[in-house]
Amino acid sequence: MQAIPGLDSTTLLSLFWIGFIVITFFYQTRLQSYLALNDISRGLSKLKVMKDKARKEAIDYLVNVGKASNDPTQRVDQFLDYVTIMPVDMDPAGIVGKIDHVVTTSNDRVRAEVGALVGQNNPVTVSISENLLEVATSLNQIHKIVRHYYLLGKKTNSYFTLVQLQMLMPMIIQEADALLNAVDSFKVGQPVGDGIGPVVVSKYMAGKEKRVVAKDTVMAITEYKGRKLYVLKADGPMAYVGQPGVAIQKILGEMGAKPSAIIMIDAALKLEGEKTGEIAEGVGAAIGGIGVEKFQIEEAATKEKVPLYAILVKQSILEAITVMRKEIAEAADKVNQVLNRLIEEKTKEGDEVLVAGIGNTLGVAQ
Amino acid sequence: MSSVPGPDKKTKLLVYTIEECPVCGQKTKRAFAVGDYVTKDGAKCSKCSNQTRISLVYAEGTKPSG
Repeated sequence: MQAIPGLDSTTLLSLFWIGFIVITFFYQTRLQSYLALNDISRGLSKLKVMKDKARKEAIDYLVNVGKASNDPTQRVDQFLDYVTIMPVDMDPAGIVGKIDHVVTTSNDRVRAEVGALVGQNNPVTVSISENLLEVATSLNQIHKIVRHYYLLGKKTNSYFTLVQLQMLMPMIIQEADALLNAVDSFKVGQPVGDGIGPVVVSKYMAGKEKRVVAKDTVMAITEYKGRKLYVLKADGPMAYVGQPGVAIQKILGEMGAKPSAIIMIDAALKLEGEKTGEIAEGVGAAIGGIGVEKFQIEEAATKEKVPLYAILVKQSILEAITVMRKEIAEAADKVNQVLNRLIEEKTKEGDEVLVAGIGNTLGVAQ
Repeated sequence: MSSVPGPDKKTKLLVYTIEECPVCGQKTKRAFAVGDYVTKDGAKCSKCSNQTRISLVYAEGTKPSG
């Protein structure tokens, strides 16, 4: 074979590199869009498998455990697309009351729907069914939103839409995976990591007379070293979170309690690097959610000038919604010690103290 | 025994129930059974024969051998 005159290997290599740089310069974004599309498509397939599995688990539970009289598939599919429309916030005055009203209506409807399928005889089964349907709905929503941006990015050839979605995919998959793992714990009624607050206060409530102070929320009165304790938690062992905001407003208002301190115990999301089961103390209303309960508690405490103290048990999102880990469960005794110390330090004999165990009470009675 | 996959998929989580005697404080660990919940009455205490109560339900990780 004859070499082309003037084209030695060095020149050929240089030409190759020049060509490569020119192609990369003009087609880099298109190439990256293609890679991003592939990546998102794989994630989307995983999300589809997850949402189908959660839907199937919910239907199986309603049929096998809930003994649904009719085939619940159609009702479940309708339920998955059920939306709660949040109130307008252009004029924010009174928005918390409106959100509370909308969310309460939504929750009541969910319970009525589930009750119509499985009957109201077993509140544990009804509450577990509600939670399973919520998991299936969340996964369905996640899948729909990711699919929307994937198709939008593909249709408009929008490099930035696709790359942003590609970067978010690992976090989205992680969260979806946590939700799917929660199904296993919910089905058999095992306490979840978020239930550490109720686990701690259940020890104070065991054997005492309980009364319902708000929807799905119970309270007991007990005594510790000369202090009168009002202890509250959601009504277990159902998978409830209750309405601690309404309950605290009622205890401070209607019931006329005059606590010297409100102590709230809750699970808190840990930062990467923090240990599961670590305990943190602080001030303020320790409660998650959309903010309605927090607002109600802060309002009531501010009105009555009662200091709010918080005890938090650190855990990841996965640990919070799946079966309680040993590290979290073993923190219960330490939280008890911190709680007793707080009561002794911040109040004196003859005082009243309100203690609230915040979180999902699945598998935790009182 | 109730078991669920752990966070890293390789670890299996086994779920246990802890029964505690309110009188002598004796703790007994056994496998979780469906229907167990915290504060539910457990078996008689092996030490003092009093009624125990479930104090905790938790999962512990076990790495597969080999």
